[in-house]
Amino acid sequence: MMTTPPKSLDKLIYNLEERVKELNCIYELEEILQRSNLSIDEIFNELILIIPSGWQCSDKCVVRFLYRDSYYQPENFKETPWVLFSEIKVEERTVGKIEVYYTEKQPDADIGPFLNEEQQMLNSIALRLGHYIMHQRLKLVFDKWETTKQDLSKKKSGEWKVVLELLQRTDLDFFHRVSRKMLNHLVWNEIEEAQELLQQFDPLAGYKGKDVLGESNVPLDKRALGSSTSFSAKVFEIASKHLDNQEILSHIQKWMQQDKTSFLVRTVSSNDTSLNDISEAIRRYYQLTPEGMDLTPSAKMGIRASLTRRFLSDQLEFINIAKHYLRVTAFNNLLQCVIFPTGSHGKLGGKSAGVILAYSILKSSKENEEILKNIKTPKSWFITSDTMIHFMHYNNLDEILEQKYKTIDEIRKEYPLVVQLFKNSHFPPDIVQGLSMALDDFGTTPLVVRSSSLLEDRLGTAFAGKYKSLFIANQGGKHERLGALMDAIAEVYASTIGPDPIEYRSERELLDFHEEMGIMIQEVVGTQVGDYYLPAYAGVAFSNNEFRWSPRIKREDGLVRMVPGLGTRAVDRLGDDYPVLIAPGQPGLRANVSIDEMARYSPQKVDLINLKTNKFETIEIKELFKKFGNQYPAVEKVVSIYEHNDIRKSCFNDDFSQEDIIVNFEGLISNTPFVKQAHTILTVLQKALATPVDIEFASDGKDFYLLQCRPQSYSKNIAPSPIPKNIPKDRFIFSADRYVSNGTVPNIKYIVYVNPEKYNELSDHKELLAVGRAVSRLNKLLPKKEFILMGPGRWGSRGDIKLGVSVTYSDINNTAALIEIARKKGNYVPDLSFGTHFFQDLVEASIRYLPLYPDDPGIVFNEEFLTKSPNAIFEILPAFSHLSGVIHVIEVSQASGGMVMRLLMNADMDKAVGILTPPASENLSQQELDEQIESTDEDHLSWRLLMVDKMASQIDPERFGIKALYLLGSTNKISASDGGNIKLLVYFNGTKAQKKDLLNWLEGWSLCLDEMNYMRTGYKSGKLLDIQFAANDEIIAKEEIAKEYDLM
Amino acid sequence: MAQDKSFNAFEMAQTQFDKVADMLNLDQGTRDLLRNPFREYHFGIPVRMDDGAVKIFRGFRCQHNDARGPGKGGIRFHPQETIDTVRALSMWMTWKTAVADIPLGGGKGGVICDPHHLSALEQEKICRGWVRQIAKNVGPLADIPAPDVMTSGQHMLWMLDEFETIHGNKYPGFITGKPVGMGGSLGRTEATGYGVIYTLREALKELGINPKETTASVQGFGNVAHYAIKLYSEMGGKIICVSCWDQDDQKSYTYKKNDGIDLDALLSITDRFGGIDKNKARELGYEQLPGEAWIEQDVDILIPAALENQITAESVNKISKRVKIVAEGANGPTTPEADKVLKERNVFVIPDFLANAGGVICSYFEQVQCNMNYFWEKEEVLEKLDAKMTSAYKAVSDLAKKKNIFTRDAAYVIAINRVAQACKDRGWV
Repeated sequence: MMTTPPKSLDKLIYNLEERVKELNCIYELEEILQRSNLSIDEIFNELILIIPSGWQCSDKCVVRFLYRDSYYQPENFKETPWVLFSEIKVEERTVGKIEVYYTEKQPDADIGPFLNEEQQMLNSIALRLGHYIMHQRLKLVFDKWETTKQDLSKKKSGEWKVVLELLQRTDLDFFHRVSRKMLNHLVWNEIEEAQELLQQFDPLAGYKGKDVLGESNVPLDKRALGSSTSFSAKVFEIASKHLDNQEILSHIQKWMQQDKTSFLVRTVSSNDTSLNDISEAIRRYYQLTPEGMDLTPSAKMGIRASLTRRFLSDQLEFINIAKHYLRVTAFNNLLQCVIFPTGSHGKLGGKSAGVILAYSILKSSKENEEILKNIKTPKSWFITSDTMIHFMHYNNLDEILEQKYKTIDEIRKEYPLVVQLFKNSHFPPDIVQGLSMALDDFGTTPLVVRSSSLLEDRLGTAFAGKYKSLFIANQGGKHERLGALMDAIAEVYASTIGPDPIEYRSERELLDFHEEMGIMIQEVVGTQVGDYYLPAYAGVAFSNNEFRWSPRIKREDGLVRMVPGLGTRAVDRLGDDYPVLIAPGQPGLRANVSIDEMARYSPQKVDLINLKTNKFETIEIKELFKKFGNQYPAVEKVVSIYEHNDIRKSCFNDDFSQEDIIVNFEGLISNTPFVKQAHTILTVLQKALATPVDIEFASDGKDFYLLQCRPQSYSKNIAPSPIPKNIPKDRFIFSADRYVSNGTVPNIKYIVYVNPEKYNELSDHKELLAVGRAVSRLNKLLPKKEFILMGPGRWGSRGDIKLGVSVTYSDINNTAALIEIARKKGNYVPDLSFGTHFFQDLVEASIRYLPLYPDDPGIVFNEEFLTKSPNAIFEILPAFSHLSGVIHVIEVSQASGGMVMRLLMNADMDKAVGILTPPASENLSQQELDEQIESTDEDHLSWRLLMVDKMASQIDPERFGIKALYLLGSTNKISASDGGNIKLLVYFNGTKAQKKDLLNWLEGWSLCLDEMNYMRTGYKSGKLLDIQFAANDEIIAKEEIAKEYDLM
Repeated sequence: MAQDKSFNAFEMAQTQFDKVADMLNLDQGTRDLLRNPFREYHFGIPVRMDDGAVKIFRGFRCQHNDARGPGKGGIRFHPQETIDTVRALSMWMTWKTAVADIPLGGGKGGVICDPHHLSALEQEKICRGWVRQIAKNVGPLADIPAPDVMTSGQHMLWMLDEFETIHGNKYPGFITGKPVGMGGSLGRTEATGYGVIYTLREALKELGINPKETTASVQGFGNVAHYAIKLYSEMGGKIICVSCWDQDDQKSYTYKKNDGIDLDALLSITDRFGGIDKNKARELGYEQLPGEAWIEQDVDILIPAALENQITAESVNKISKRVKIVAEGANGPTTPEADKVLKERNVFVIPDFLANAGGVICSYFEQVQCNMNYFWEKEEVLEKLDAKMTSAYKAVSDLAKKKNIFTRDAAYVIAINRVAQACKDRGWV
């Protein structure tokens, strides 16, 4: 064929023709390979005729194969310098080669006279042949094996030899490996001859056990590995003596199969391989046999562990759990939906890892198969974490990575700019292509772009909700949708360097961690309702219930917070709306019982996606139902009907756009296995992950979708608080050890204590009411969230207010904690309310609740502090002075000499304490706290010694006319309590003026030391030094002196 | 129960009774009979809890007096229930049915329990256990329970079912407060609010005031207030302001419109608990005032329909000179100190337990309908309610005029006199 320099359209047509030729060539190759009756020789001979047709100058083109030392070539073959070749590999080993020659010189193209496309085609052909040869080999082996098996059933002996011969011919390496494995097997079975043989050939057998395993640091001698054919023959000779045919054969087959997958082990366990390589290896593994091949249990674990490490997390705890649940199949399926740059070494990030593992755990829970059967995860695509770096490189944004080392103020100031910078950047083409594929897969279902950073949701660290998750409506043309998706991803990327996460990381010393952000793009679970798109219901569930509204609910009964529509309203505390609460372990005990409570504490608003405006919106449930009530998914499970001042379950023939609806999920709770399912999920996950978990879920009305799973974590003030030991008695206000939830209230400046006995003695109904009014006034007057309310029985009692102060939520809404005191009356301890009258208000406002049982054994209740401290009610609320016997308003610092009260609650230990501590920043570390609280007498003593040492070293004896200084009190007599004085004796022989000077100097020290002592202990005595003077000749008893400073 | 010097509702009820007994000059026997419940039942209710453990709950029923007809009164589920509270409440029920002049006596019952810590199944077991213990002593012709604190229509149905199972027949009149369609009466939602206005209408008639020329201020925007405002507006009166609780701000506001509020417009921006959306209200042209402002408006009528203790010694002085009537829709909205001032200023008070008797009358109607197993349309219920309220009002007002006593005292005098007379007629005393 002549090649004329083509122009524009001609060139295009020419190029297309070339492609057609190539495709035709590949087509014919496949045709030949499909003809199963051809031998490999025949195939090569056919191919040398066909392949040239794919080349530019096919008439000047000849092809030669090299396979197993034989050439396959046309008769008139001659080597020329114009050659293109590609190696044929089977299992990474080169077994042959294809060469394409031009018989004459042709015009230069990309590679000599050849085109790049031609080289690629040749590579494809070689690859295809490699696979084909491997397939044929395996087929041969298996065929042989089948016939052998059939023969065996006819009791023929010695068939294993045939198989072995076959192996020896087809794959010598493997033949040797099988021999070694057989020898090991024999040795393992304690066959003596085998052991002898091993000693002859095997390098390790000769060493004594202790040489190998012991602590010798000397390297072992190297011995040659037995690999000769005679060795193999011997092995099998021994084997045939001790094992029958069947046994030998089945071993060989097992090893053979295991060996076929060794490439997978190699690929995934190497750190150099990129995700592309791994993906390719997994694809090949499944190509070998679609069901996957048998791996040894250890290899299986190894591969699972390696895949987990490469894709999900390198945290050992995580891998250790994941390898039991995540099958290779799962990774194979996952890989179809992962977007990553070429040569990627990234991971999917914590959030993705969490949900993938949790789903696998649930699906492999055999005993709960039935209850967990409709559990799903939404369709998801993942972007690897290093894509973010790739993105930043591509846009020259690298220096922003160092943003985290700036000051928080700078970060905060620059953050809006950074977000815009990210949003205006472009994604690399390979990523755009991946996202485009993802969008084709998703269609026009709304999506949520979730952050999935390496730090997020790891086992053992709490890094929850710091980065963004963004909803996108995903409506409109493809171009528009792709733009919106990329915009959302860029914004999530930018959130890695937002001020809040950076501050959080810096507090936890995680700043130097190389944070990368993976992305999980999830389909939003839901259905279309009118113009809106939303799930029937969604929410969060926790293994540990930290907000128990009844003493019958145990912590491990868990907690579900759920709402209609998107779960965003269940995740965060709302303040103005209420999610529905369920304790899955005690579904019968509802937080709201009376009709009024059920109606008041039901969700009023719903989060959804408006498909018309393409926006995430919050609207009134009432409005939604008025318009689209009858279209709402699974509506009968979600709402009840408020009618004639009563609440009834909804039913099929209700008109939901007309009825007065209340969202309480009554149908879901009582008519479906939902609660049991939620409980099972929490239990199974907690057991498998060995930690309490926190999951997010949603439902389209039919199935339960798991959206997220992470270890249950706590925000700062509701984390279990450490409880110091050795708290000195005078620091205690109270302790508690029943029904304790988690939390810390660090800076309590006022305590409002309603004395239970005195309250009970009030005989006038009006006075009882007045107590409630006084509390209400104090609630407005005292500093918000810096006071606590302590009172008898049931706060918020209505009607019978004798045993509980009559208040509504608005009368107590500024308190930091609500404490109910149950004092024993005879043999009877009254029930407490657990805040049920306004329980959900307390939860949403983060007001801590604690019941106290002062009469229980081992409980501290410092009644004296509470009743004998100065009562501030006279100054703060003089109008209620007449109730000063009942209501004690304690200004903590005044009553304790400058301290504050600290409420520490720990549900894990079921312990809480109210203690006096010096005022401190909220971020007091545990160690600092311990130091402040637990300082023992020795500490006080050594501090005093140290201070006196310092003072003595600075004193100028000449100036002050002193000879010596004595610290008085033997070590065990020194007043070592935190407020005790330091007694000093001065041997003085100076003048009056000197004495005055000295006293001034010492007074400075005294005031200074007192201030320092106050800082460390909270005690203030005015002066810390107690000075005595003595003349030279006065004799002091030796045992009085703790330390002498001879100043001369 | 331990007797201590602390507040005791029963003692308060007895003191109140003694005062009226003195006015009526009742003999000692009648006093002794009426100072205490006629019959009292205390019993244990064993319940196997969901976790398998058995718990014994304490149950009560007090039948204070049934001289005028079967006892009537609610069943309370309350963790700190005391027998004295139940006694006091049963006595008040006797007076309430008597002042409304319906042929029923007074009773009250309860169980010491907190439904917050009980599952629905456990509550059902308590309801059924309560009925089993007392099935022989209650019934449509003996003593008729109803819902009260922490009990609802559902509880009533469980109790009814147990009662009918024990007695082997259908007795829908055994209990009231049942859901509509399951033996409940129509008109219950409207009853209390309408009742307030029926008495108000009669009071205006007596005072010779044309309702069309009156204005009123209402405290509260719940169920009672809705229907009171509705009927009053239909009569031609003009409500110029309402006050209500604002959940977001945790305080109440008064919404005012001088040319009269539009009930339907306000209802469309009100939540289920009577909370008006303040922003939307302002958009609709309402003036937003502090919560207490309702009391100081220049109107003819005040209708407190929210909480107790609202008209106090202090706030009573803010009441405009123009105010002629206070119709008490709420329970106990006026303190005794404020009562004195109102008396002095010659403000006509329609006392709470007359003005809001619509509820108990409707319960009576439910029972009547159940006993004959024929249910009236809502109009018929309300018509009959009007007749009952009107005659009850007339009796109180006539006596107040005749004897020149305060209406609140007149209401008690009539009630106690009716009961005492019934006991005498029966030859008990």
